[in-house]
Amino acid sequence: MIRINRFWLPLAGFLLLAVVFAIALKRAPNNSLANLPSVLIGKPAPEFTLPAVGDRDTQVSISQFRGNWTLLNVWATWCVECRVEHPLLLDLQREGKVTIVGLNYKDQDELALEWLRQLGNPYAANAADPEGRAAIDYGVYAAPETFLIDPQGVIRRKRIGALTREVWEKEFAPLIGGAS
Amino acid sequence: MAHAIDPAPPFEDPVLQQRYVDLIHELRCLKCQGETIADTPALFAQDIRRQVREMVAAGRTDDEIRDFMVERYGEVILLRPRFSARNAWLWLAPGVFLAVGVIVGWRIVSQRRQLLDQDDTPVDDDGVRPA
Repeated sequence: MIRINRFWLPLAGFLLLAVVFAIALKRAPNNSLANLPSVLIGKPAPEFTLPAVGDRDTQVSISQFRGNWTLLNVWATWCVECRVEHPLLLDLQREGKVTIVGLNYKDQDELALEWLRQLGNPYAANAADPEGRAAIDYGVYAAPETFLIDPQGVIRRKRIGALTREVWEKEFAPLIGGAS
Repeated sequence: MAHAIDPAPPFEDPVLQQRYVDLIHELRCLKCQGETIADTPALFAQDIRRQVREMVAAGRTDDEIRDFMVERYGEVILLRPRFSARNAWLWLAPGVFLAVGVIVGWRIVSQRRQLLDQDDTPVDDDGVRPA
């Protein structure tokens, strides 16, 4: 009896480790850090008050949009992926389920305005964050990043990298549908 | 080299400068992942260095600065993970494994020693037992 136990012990240990590794591998983010859940999810969206892109006399703050489902999109004209996701933002603006607010990240107003003229403007407002200070409060480390903020002003979802229709339908839209 | 990456002038106070240098060496550049924010000219690292610099200058403690970063970016920004309830087993597992190994090893050795004591088979001059 004891012999059998001794024989099975290493095998049991091996199987246990294999199961642990299998679970860890499955849960591991496939795009390394980018898919780690943001610590900000479930927390109130950090407030910022910044001048509007192209209009330094107008202030944009995120709390202005309380009461609506809001998409805070961190973008820049130097950001290639932002160009990729831009048509989707235009579509979402047309569909009207969310108010899209831009955080123009480490960019220049003239370039940003030119971009919006050429490609269309999906944003209800665009805050200029040339030094990336508001972005730090949102844990932003690259553009584009997109935050879904609920009508109570709580961050519900975050996407690092270009938002796609697939991700929108799968991860963002259900939250809006379920709560309103 | 360090100057090429971090063009900011050093603190006049060497104590503050040392704290700044130590802190930027323990924060991960999330954009570049394998590097600390001290090692890279990436935009993200520049911004975080500026933030650390300003907070050091404003008299915030090292822990306050670490907490500030963790609140925004998560534990992942710390290159040296903290001990917490969630990762306690990772920190403690090596010690537990070592203890189990020592106990098992000790038991095997003491069992064999007992067997040897009970064994009265005579040995020859070279200490070898006849087969």
